[in-house]
Amino acid sequence: MEDQKPQEQAPFGQQPFGQTPFGNQGPAPKNWLVESILVTLFCCLPFGIAGIVNAANVNSKYAMGDYAGAQAASQAAGKWTKIGFFIGIGVYVLYILFFVVLGFGGAMMSNYR
Amino acid sequence: MKLTYILEIIIGLAFVIIYYNFNPEMYNFFPECPFHKYLHLDCPGCGSQRAIHALLHLDIQKAAGYNLLLVRSLPLLITQLAFKIYSFSTKKNLVMRFWYNPNTPKVIFAIVMIFWIARNLPYTPFNYLAA
Repeated sequence: MEDQKPQEQAPFGQQPFGQTPFGNQGPAPKNWLVESILVTLFCCLPFGIAGIVNAANVNSKYAMGDYAGAQAASQAAGKWTKIGFFIGIGVYVLYILFFVVLGFGGAMMSNYR
Repeated sequence: MKLTYILEIIIGLAFVIIYYNFNPEMYNFFPECPFHKYLHLDCPGCGSQRAIHALLHLDIQKAAGYNLLLVRSLPLLITQLAFKIYSFSTKKNLVMRFWYNPNTPKVIFAIVMIFWIARNLPYTPFNYLAA
């Protein structure tokens, strides 16, 4: 793939599966896809979805040979995934603290989802 | 590095024991998803805790009733875990190329969004997806 290609042209179907394209300076940056799926399934969700979107950016930019862009997207993906993860943990801890403070009866009112 | 792995395993085991012994439908010290609590809509992760409880009791059908997306993504997640364990024990950095295919995140994003919308529709084929 040429370097002069405009960034908007998504490389749909141009990269054979698993083949390294030209012009990449290194291995693909971590794309946080698995972590953002886990955050989507188990924690607060908008952040996990932001992580998935950024993972898509990492992969398509890397496939286009835009290594710096892929690294930036990787950092963004990591940021959103971590935010989602820590908010999820925070909600969990707060809820348990709330439960401990109010005692067994207090939290009986809310029904779990 | 090794210490964090050991800590993760201990925390994971604790969660497995808690989710095995307590049904989240009966006990309410399990946190409720804030999205569901305030918007009264299901998010893609709603039902995961009950699904995990059902899965730990090997009741896959019940788990799929709570969160189909979680059950459907399990084979992928288990494969990923196996890759992780293999690359940790052989000290090779083995990664699934699948995650780095440019189309994978787009397809996953589409699946998550469709699942999210579909499980909130109150019509018959879709409300089976609700948590």
